[in-house]
Amino acid sequence: MDLLGLANYAVFMAILIGIYALLALGLNIQWGFTGLFNAGIAGFFAVGAYTSAILTSLPATGRLGGYELPLLVGWAASMVAAGLIAWPIGKICLRFRSDYLAIATIGIAEIIRLVIRTEGWLTGGVRGVTGVPRPFGELDYMPSQIAYLAIVATLVLVAYLLVERQVKAPWGRMMRAIRDNELAAAAMGKQVEARRLQAFVFGSALMGLAGALFVHFNRSITPEAIDPMIATFLIWIMLILGGSGNNRGAILGAALIWIIWSVSELLTDRLPTEIAVQAKYARVFIIGLTLQLVLRFRPEGILPERQAGSPPRR
Amino acid sequence: MKRRTIAGVVGAVLGAAVVAAPAHAQDVKIGLMAAISGPIAALAPPMAAASRLAVTHVNEQGGILKGGKLEAVLGDSACNPQNATDVATKAVNIDRVIAVVGPACSGAVLAAANSVTIPAGVLMVTPSGTSPEITKLKDKGLVFRTLPSDDYQGRALARTLKARGIDKVAVAYLNNDYGKGLAESFKAEFEANGGTIAGYSGHEEGKASYRSELATLARGGADTLVLFDYGDGTGLTLLRQSLENGFFKTFVGADGMKSEGLVKAIGAQNLGGFFVSAPVGEASASLENFNKAYKAAGGNIDAVFATTSYDAAFLVALAIEKAGGDKAKLAESLRAVASAPGEPILAGEWAKAKQLIAEGKDIDYKGAGGDHEFDAAGDVPGNYAFFKVSGTGYESIADMK
Repeated sequence: MDLLGLANYAVFMAILIGIYALLALGLNIQWGFTGLFNAGIAGFFAVGAYTSAILTSLPATGRLGGYELPLLVGWAASMVAAGLIAWPIGKICLRFRSDYLAIATIGIAEIIRLVIRTEGWLTGGVRGVTGVPRPFGELDYMPSQIAYLAIVATLVLVAYLLVERQVKAPWGRMMRAIRDNELAAAAMGKQVEARRLQAFVFGSALMGLAGALFVHFNRSITPEAIDPMIATFLIWIMLILGGSGNNRGAILGAALIWIIWSVSELLTDRLPTEIAVQAKYARVFIIGLTLQLVLRFRPEGILPERQAGSPPRR
Repeated sequence: MKRRTIAGVVGAVLGAAVVAAPAHAQDVKIGLMAAISGPIAALAPPMAAASRLAVTHVNEQGGILKGGKLEAVLGDSACNPQNATDVATKAVNIDRVIAVVGPACSGAVLAAANSVTIPAGVLMVTPSGTSPEITKLKDKGLVFRTLPSDDYQGRALARTLKARGIDKVAVAYLNNDYGKGLAESFKAEFEANGGTIAGYSGHEEGKASYRSELATLARGGADTLVLFDYGDGTGLTLLRQSLENGFFKTFVGADGMKSEGLVKAIGAQNLGGFFVSAPVGEASASLENFNKAYKAAGGNIDAVFATTSYDAAFLVALAIEKAGGDKAKLAESLRAVASAPGEPILAGEWAKAKQLIAEGKDIDYKGAGGDHEFDAAGDVPGNYAFFKVSGTGYESIADMK
């Protein structure tokens, strides 16, 4: 083990944490501030990933794509596409309350996943999309990773600042009012349905952007990447652990869970080789245990939501 | 700030020292990236055990390079790109491996190769990634695999059927990367050779009845159904239902359909019109070596991808020995030790290989899972034969070209 290697590993972790932080921020808009139980994160992640992949990748036979558009177009389109998919879904499903909405969104994410798997002319089917360009990808290993981290970090920062600005504005107070007491908010003349739809579309667009960042980092995407375990439930754990309703909590949760997930494998590698295979499951257990402990002793998360009215901590 | 600068300088020096070190290093580390958790969790332990067996053979028979130990670092790639890139990053940067065996799933291979091992210049040999997309990777010659791409078998099967005088078929495939990959390459080759595809459809796993799908396929007027599925799963249901309803007369499957459970379930007397293609190992002595050793180590010799996992790890070890531990020469050395001409080396014959390499002689590894003559893209062509049902098992009736 040496410092250069450690630095490389840290940069890689930071990139994935950034991507997951965007997903957690998107979920925070939906669940943390508006109370929408979206259990279909993987679907919007996938729409964003595939949109950008198809628009920017090299030409290939047998599927749509090969437009080789600039990256920024791909990224913007991924947000727009995820938002556009979210709009009719929200229009129909947001009439459901909490758990019903969760069931509906799980179903929709599965529909999106199956469409991606089967419609080969559009997405390459089970083989996925390859030949996706990576910005600064022609640099050496480490500089290329650092450059990508800079892009991801910038986008996370921008997203964080914009979301933070938005929830501190009257819009944020209105959303929390809708979340905490829908009837009272409606009685005050707030358009509950339209506002919830707004939050759903904004959050989904951020998830789409995360998908785009993921696909360009790996230069490829296959349906295996949009497994609900790794692209939906892991993000829920991140948000609950970090503190829903708090954007810093969302980012912190993403970082903590990914670090626990990744670093714990280094620790289990110290175990004897006879149980090496079994030891790999220890980290799944550790994630579950962490969630249980947080829910038991600190249900509001590590960084709880700041109460409206109280002065912000300095 | 000052402390950080110092740390940076120290890091750079240490890094340079490590980069410069391998010529003197005794022990060599390789990464094993098995899909231990995730959708193919059941396949992973035998694969990892087979790769470890290769490592054991190396260490028991004189070790690697100048008496060093070959050490395998096991990682969990979980069959998805997120975990595969994570585990590859750890292997390359923390454990400082110079080559990796795995990951197991094609999507994981693409992501880990693209974002980690190719930029880092690390050799990758996958024992189970069969997607044709892996062939197309811009991999600087660093990505290999020890089993043929799905493309080969589908194309070989199409040519064989045409040669046997079958001009019109219906194709049913299981909708995953295995079934679909085979179906697509079969269709392309069959049509290119002037055949007619009278029906073509994918089906999902685990349904109780496929009669409506089969009826639609039969309407095209073909007598032959080409079925890309698993004989222990959905394929059995489809075969049984088309026999019961008389939809087709002849059935042709790929290696996934070559199951003895299927013969037992349907009965050999009903399977006169059932044929399968499956890979055959040319160097069967090598396979016997492997089977004996693997059984002695407590493994099940029928486990899928066990032979290719062993070969991948053994080939990597041979390449390291040949390259003298030099990371930059690994890919070139891998080609040298795997391809003819040269003294043939069978599975488990590490001591012999080590001595020949030390004498500067050329060697040619004949693996348990095939000869492994890599082409320009790092793929191996498969050796396939055409089988019919015989007794409770299968009998080879023709080689496939």
